[in-house]
Amino acid sequence: MLLNSVVIILREVLEAALLMSVFLASARFLQTRNRWAISALVAGAIGAATYGFFLEPVSDLFDGVGQEVCNAILQYGAFTLLAAVAFQIPRRSNNLESSPTIIVALMALTVMLAITREGAEILVYVSGFWNASDFFSAVALGSIIGACIGFSVGVLIYYLLLAQPIMWALPTSVLLIHLIAAGMASQATRLLIQADWISAAGPIWDTSSILSEQSLTGQLLYALVGYEASPSGIEVFAYVGSVLVVATAFVAGKFSSQPARDEME
Amino acid sequence: MKQIMRIGKFRLSVMAFLILLVAPSYAATPEFEIEILNHLFLPDTLTIPAGVKVKLVIYNRDATPEEFESYELNREKVILGGRKAIVFIGPLAPGEYPFFGEFNPQTALGTILVVAEADAAK
Repeated sequence: MLLNSVVIILREVLEAALLMSVFLASARFLQTRNRWAISALVAGAIGAATYGFFLEPVSDLFDGVGQEVCNAILQYGAFTLLAAVAFQIPRRSNNLESSPTIIVALMALTVMLAITREGAEILVYVSGFWNASDFFSAVALGSIIGACIGFSVGVLIYYLLLAQPIMWALPTSVLLIHLIAAGMASQATRLLIQADWISAAGPIWDTSSILSEQSLTGQLLYALVGYEASPSGIEVFAYVGSVLVVATAFVAGKFSSQPARDEME
Repeated sequence: MKQIMRIGKFRLSVMAFLILLVAPSYAATPEFEIEILNHLFLPDTLTIPAGVKVKLVIYNRDATPEEFESYELNREKVILGGRKAIVFIGPLAPGEYPFFGEFNPQTALGTILVVAEADAAK
């Protein structure tokens, strides 16, 4: 019971922790203060409690696929916000005098959506054991350990990003933002396939024998870049399309704000 | 007149094409039921036909929530205590696709057995 809880909570926490560490690192490179993170955590917790509380009526929506649709909306929403962050990053880094309000708000909202979705699942899981007193202490302890491991991985990624040579630091974060966004969009697409809102053919490849999704590396890659061992064509299409959308947003942001030094030349 | 007919034919073929595209999702989707009871899946092996989409209706008879999950099927869904959930799977190639209840992974274990139409008839 203890180990189950560790694994379940870790899986849920990991995604939000990685997203947050990439944002926190990016914000540092953009010379932005990181106070937004606290508001994002609080707002996310409120969102998770609300979603968790209403999960039953939500699940019954749309002939019993309300959960998939709601999660897909949260995921596509986070994807859109990530694209907007990718648009704002070059604008901010080209002009560090500009107000950071927009980019900070976008990051906070993205983290909030991620925590809402994953936090709700954690609440549903833990609350299931609320009345089972023999298990509850094990579940609670396991959850705390899982959350701490997830948090530590986030801290590790944060410092790994900060430790990079300055030339690479921001580009690496931007690349990770592309992959996280694409992972979210393909996950959302998979949810709509599960709900039968999108028709999909069978998987177009299967790499589970090379890298299982159940392995530690597989789980980490799933959380970080949306790794999927046997995706259907439409998921791959959503993934590649999303990378292109975010890249376009980034390039558009770059050209919409030429750095001062270019004007000098 | 001839031209009008031609446009009509073109439109008709476009429509036919669109219908063909959409048709699979409107074809009768076979339905299968699974129950969760005392953190076990009943039945724990479910045989379904290959190559078609299938609707799984999962009843959670326990008071506690469960998460139906399968890496092989790429499916994941929370089912609250005393509720039912719908999960669409497939079309799948013949083979074995394990699934489990993430909240009780020691006991809640099952397999979807996908068999070709000809084998299923036997």
